[in-house]
Amino acid sequence: MKELEDQGKKQTTDSLSEIMNIDRLVHSPARLSILTYLSVVEEGDAVYLLNQTGLTWGNLSANVTRLQEAGYIEVVKEFKNKKPHTLLKLTDRGRKAFQGYQNKMKGLLDIKSLSPGRTENR
Amino acid sequence: MDTSDQEKIERRVFTSFFQAGFIEAFTGIFLLQLGLPALFSRSGFGDWESALLTLPIALILLIAVFLVRRFVVTPRLGHVKFLPERRRKLSKLIIVPILTLIAGAIVGFIFTENASLRYIFVGQIPFILIPIIVFSAAAYFLDMKRLYVYGAIVGLVFPLGKYLETVIVSRNTLPATILFTAFVFLGMATVFLVAFLRKYHESEV
Repeated sequence: MKELEDQGKKQTTDSLSEIMNIDRLVHSPARLSILTYLSVVEEGDAVYLLNQTGLTWGNLSANVTRLQEAGYIEVVKEFKNKKPHTLLKLTDRGRKAFQGYQNKMKGLLDIKSLSPGRTENR
Repeated sequence: MDTSDQEKIERRVFTSFFQAGFIEAFTGIFLLQLGLPALFSRSGFGDWESALLTLPIALILLIAVFLVRRFVVTPRLGHVKFLPERRRKLSKLIIVPILTLIAGAIVGFIFTENASLRYIFVGQIPFILIPIIVFSAAAYFLDMKRLYVYGAIVGLVFPLGKYLETVIVSRNTLPATILFTAFVFLGMATVFLVAFLRKYHESEV
């Protein structure tokens, strides 16, 4: 019985440490949304992200800068028909970070969804 | 969020690029291309004259649709390059109508050469089957279920017109049925475009 309790405690501690290890750069709703919408296309511009994420231009710009600084996205600024045009692309590093985040969150949520059943079995 | 969720998001993003009514506009123009020559030829014009009269109308409408897409819709939706899988699906979408038309032409040639089969071909079958095949392929490759319905509607227009001709005895019943459906689609396209313009505003980023 004590062994089971210890095992349970260890698992809780492990899952808590997993939570602490989550990539906070990806975890923010705005950045997660940006990464999600960039992950389903090869590249997209800022207008596409503004429409899909529903963020304001200022908010989008601030979060894009943070993701760019982390090397998660690539930003290309150009002029199209004499108008500024910002093109964004998820880098390999960004894609890995996003997939890692997805897997970690899925694992954590799976542990959480199993917990009530385990309590009942005791 | 697993792969299926991402696929759903990708599909939602992709279909959002078709919300301005272009599919409805193209369907309407396609039906105009069928209905107007039929109307002209029944009004005393020859087949070639009817086709030549219709062509500028269709061209003007197509150019208008492309201009609206280029200067009104794209700046509001943004530019996106879709993933290679989606691009592959789109390239297949172009192949299917081409193959259908080639197959239709071959079958048509065989049937018209054979007198006993001729009646079937000049009858309603190709007018029903070709739109259904083309629209179903588009529905499958574009992940848009409403295109199955459009295919069924376009496929049924011709037999419906033929049927109505027996009820309302007029030489213009068939073209009128086709043109009415064309205007319904063009009306839908206008409604979708207005709704799109209300939802999205141009932003310079």
